[in-house]
Amino acid sequence: MKILLKVFEAVRPSFEGGKLRLFKPVFEALEHALFAPSTTTVTAPHIRDPLDMKRFMSMVVISLVPCVLAAFYFFGLRMAAMILVSYAAGGAVEVVFAIVRKEDIYEGFLVTGLLFPLILPPLLPLWMVALGVAFGVFIGKELFGGTGRNVFNPALVGRCFLSLAYPKMMAASYLEPSGALAGRLLTYIDASNIDAISSATPLALANKGDFSSLPHLFLGSVSGSAGETSAIAIILGGVFLLLTRVANWRTVVSILGSFVLLGGILHYTSPQDVGPVLWHLCAGGLLFGAFFMATDPVTSPTSNAGKWLYGILIGAVTVLIRNFTGYVEGVTFAILLGNIVAPILDEIIVGVRIRRLRSEG
Amino acid sequence: MLQGRPERAVKVMPEPEVLNLPLRSRRFVFSDVSVEDGQRVSSGDILAKDPNNYAVPLLAPRAGLVRLKKDENAAPAAVDASRGGGHIIIDDVANLEEHADIAKEELEHIEREMGAGGIKRYKLLVLGAWQFFYDAYTGALPDPQGTPQAIIVSTVSLEPFVARGDAQLHKRLFNFTRGLEQLQSLLEYQPMYLVMPDIKSELANRIRDHIRGYAWAKMLEIPLTYPYDDFAILARRLGLRRDKGPVWAVRTEGVLAIDRALTLTKPCTVRIISIGGTGVNSPAHIKVMPGYPIDKIRDTYVSEPAARMIDGGILTGEALGQEPVGIDTECRGITVLGELQDREFLGFARPGWDRSCYAACYLSSLRKRFRERFTTGMRGEGRPCISCNFCEEVCPAGIMPHLIHKYLYRDLIEEAEQARIDLCVECGLCSFVCPSKLDLRQEFIDAKKLIEQEKEEIRQEQERQEKLRQEEAAKRSAEEKSE
Ligand code: SF4
Ligand code: SF4
Repeated sequence: MKILLKVFEAVRPSFEGGKLRLFKPVFEALEHALFAPSTTTVTAPHIRDPLDMKRFMSMVVISLVPCVLAAFYFFGLRMAAMILVSYAAGGAVEVVFAIVRKEDIYEGFLVTGLLFPLILPPLLPLWMVALGVAFGVFIGKELFGGTGRNVFNPALVGRCFLSLAYPKMMAASYLEPSGALAGRLLTYIDASNIDAISSATPLALANKGDFSSLPHLFLGSVSGSAGETSAIAIILGGVFLLLTRVANWRTVVSILGSFVLLGGILHYTSPQDVGPVLWHLCAGGLLFGAFFMATDPVTSPTSNAGKWLYGILIGAVTVLIRNFTGYVEGVTFAILLGNIVAPILDEIIVGVRIRRLRSEG
Repeated sequence: MLQGRPERAVKVMPEPEVLNLPLRSRRFVFSDVSVEDGQRVSSGDILAKDPNNYAVPLLAPRAGLVRLKKDENAAPAAVDASRGGGHIIIDDVANLEEHADIAKEELEHIEREMGAGGIKRYKLLVLGAWQFFYDAYTGALPDPQGTPQAIIVSTVSLEPFVARGDAQLHKRLFNFTRGLEQLQSLLEYQPMYLVMPDIKSELANRIRDHIRGYAWAKMLEIPLTYPYDDFAILARRLGLRRDKGPVWAVRTEGVLAIDRALTLTKPCTVRIISIGGTGVNSPAHIKVMPGYPIDKIRDTYVSEPAARMIDGGILTGEALGQEPVGIDTECRGITVLGELQDREFLGFARPGWDRSCYAACYLSSLRKRFRERFTTGMRGEGRPCISCNFCEEVCPAGIMPHLIHKYLYRDLIEEAEQARIDLCVECGLCSFVCPSKLDLRQEFIDAKKLIEQEKEEIRQEQERQEKLRQEEAAKRSAEEKSE
């Protein structure tokens, strides 16, 4: 460790004011990824919480591990390539912008870069993965001013872009998961070495009245976006995220709550149009969206009251899109809609709170 | 258990040879110096006064020879008239019999002027007990001749490492209750709230026994969670509104000082402060007097030479400068915090069983206890606010720090005022928890100062215009008359 630190100290001058000063953000990101920063407090409070942005983001990454493993198991080693491409393309955009803005490289893309491949169909061509994540980070985040100022979740923007620009490719890139005990842990499946059987997702099948069995949905052995199929893996990681309080439980509870409530009422009144609630809960990207997408602190409302409203909105809109529009999957649009509404919700809540604060001592 | 928490026993420091009294403290600037170089003073003599704070005095804690020392480091341009710097040094210190009371004739004169109640307040002021009083809302020194709507007496002090009430009360319970009675005699019918950590504890029962029959004292139990002992928070909790008049607040040491000043008519110069923190080998409470040389305390207690010395607690204290002199008249404790030495390797990837963190990210939480070894490390890089809402969750004042931060970032001072930046009690918890390492507390303090200044300027401007108008009116009427 000491040696490594010495190396950093030795090359520091050339990055700080030296020839390579353009790449200072890269140098700093690398240095701080390995060693905690050496800055100390100047004024009170003289101590600081050990939680920082790196830790915050690495918690999300850790909580995604079960989903990633499930994706590997069901869809094969191609996931690794998708994740790598996503990190490389998203990271490149982030680094370029950090250099242009002369800011640090922020940690947010560590999460975006991992979330993005998990919400894509597993057979999607790699160039589309790269294009999607670059679009998402560029349009969804950097154009708004970078981390902390973005309105939309960058991963969802990327996904939304792909499904609008290449709807056929997206729909044709789903894959039936392997039924073998070892899964596809050792196989690399590509559009070239599979007989181009694209498998419809459970939600698409359900639209035709064909419901996959619930245990399959729960385990994840169904077709779908790479990381979204296994309810159990999502819940495992999601609960961890809630326990660490990186994700706010209010958002998750209100999304799932309103989804179950509205879905339940609709199923009860017209069971032939609307499928059973528990089935819908595990199908598609709802759980993944509720635990990992909607809880992004930047794009969800800040206040706790706002989070409740935001969650209720997303849950309800998902039910409506799924059952009453041509789209079988509604979570992406529902969360993006929630992102648009979030600042408005915040404004309302802030207004109420400020009015209440006015009468304080 | 928090490492470095001062124990309850109070230790007496050896008598100093030289006292080095700073002419400033957190609230006071003793710019009106009333002694001369080479003058011999006895203990209890007034050395200087703060003209802006009801002439609160700086008392000589011991007898000795005065030497004045101007602040050399401060550039003359930077020192405006109201900010006196420097120190008064007392050489040749002797612990003689305390210079007794205030001169008789003077007392009689004041008694004629102000009556019996007035004389008590006068005694409090000149004997150095008044400086233990705070205005609950602003933290400033209240007007000694004013009438409060209520008094809050707090025996609790929750900021880690500052002197605690239980240590100060230990063996002084009788003085404390006598002080409470004295305090009550200053009031007419206004209520007095006695803040305790546990109103069923033995200590509380003993206090209740002592003050039995005094209906005026109400006991208030508060949770032992920082910063519920903050006076502004307490006043809000008690429903004491700011527009109904000032609320006085005083801590344990203040009540003991009242007892000393009014019952014994002796100057209050000795205080019990704490010496604690992670850089101290045997944290304790110590009995010292203002001006006590800090290096002496350091030599006795501090184990880490490179450690940062802080005047006050770990969350709101101010770092002591390079040139450590004597402790000032308002010091409540000295905290010694180790400087960051090792840069953690791959820190964010460690599970952190050994860390206390506000969010439960490290599988433990601040609300339970501080457990870890603290340093001055920032522990992360500055980042833009991500609206995680942690700051709002911890803020005891019920305001929205992230919102105010966003307003201030865009220079929207008026909006920040509407978001009630004035309610911030500067507890520092928001800065502590912020994962983006924003320095919210300092930002708010600066903004509040700026707002105050602007208000003051507007007030002065209005006054000036009012005067101009009056003059003009006078001139015009004079002209009319002459015509
Ligand atoms: S310092 Fe921060 S947490 Fe404390 S009262 Fe002020 S805004 Fe609230
Ligand atoms: S704690 Fe920091 S990052 Fe979180 S909302 Fe408050 S200011 Fe923003």
